[in-house]
Amino acid sequence: VLYLIWAYIPETWLFSLGLTYWPQKYWAVALPVYLLVAVGIGYILLFGINMMSTAPLSSTHTITDTYAKKQQQKKFQEEAIPALRDIPISEVNRMFFLPEK
Amino acid sequence: MAEERRFRSASGAPIALRRRQHSASCRELAVRGPRLQLRSLSAATSAVWLAAYGLFALSENSMVLSAAIFITLIGLIIYLHFVKIDQESLLVIGSLGIQVTSSYASGKESTTFIEMGQVKDVVINEAIHMQKVIYYLCILLQDPEDPQGVSEVVPLFQSSKPRLDCLIEVYKSCQEILEQTNTAPQSS
Repeated sequence: VLYLIWAYIPETWLFSLGLTYWPQKYWAVALPVYLLVAVGIGYILLFGINMMSTAPLSSTHTITDTYAKKQQQKKFQEEAIPALRDIPISEVNRMFFLPEK
Repeated sequence: MAEERRFRSASGAPIALRRRQHSASCRELAVRGPRLQLRSLSAATSAVWLAAYGLFALSENSMVLSAAIFITLIGLIIYLHFVKIDQESLLVIGSLGIQVTSSYASGKESTTFIEMGQVKDVVINEAIHMQKVIYYLCILLQDPEDPQGVSEVVPLFQSSKPRLDCLIEVYKSCQEILEQTNTAPQSS
């Protein structure tokens, strides 16, 4: 509300009230423009940050990570569902692509 | 013996896979991309020359036209020599290593050799690349002192990204040779 009052009432009236130390009226238009441009650039910036933090094709992060390296193997029990673990990529590939149809 | 089959790359361009078996433990797999098309070359050239003519009409400076000709020629040479990869090939020699060569349109060839002691496995991995999820073949390298871990990933066929059907063919060929390599030390 204060912002609207300041933007619309001409300077001479405010001076007559004794309130002289306000920012120039230029800012009444400049600040919203700055905000909208910042929001627009924020879209592009977020897109760029996403692309930059995607692991490149040649990094080991596409294959494993620190949790998978430190996992412990549970012993195999008969008639029980096998414990959940991260299967190495070589095994997954063999299972998917090697069997003949 | 050599055989050649047609496939498509990840962006839809036609590529060809050529498989040659040199001996029982040596295979060469080459993926050849499409040649530089005349229509894309003439489209790029006319775009640059029309833009230069537009600048010339605005500024009456005839240097713009000769600069455009130079830019077109030099740009074409740089593109053929550094960017346009015609054929990528993989030579798998059991018990010796794997050699990866890329040959450019100007005839330049760049090779990388990885010895078998460093190769852990050749797998098909899928990853996010430029707003797409693509399958790509890669060689997993291992540390000599840590046989379980993967120290580095070397992606193959980067410029002519083949689709999954082509990759499965290459994968099966490589796995046949790698199995021989892994089981041979125990049988000898």
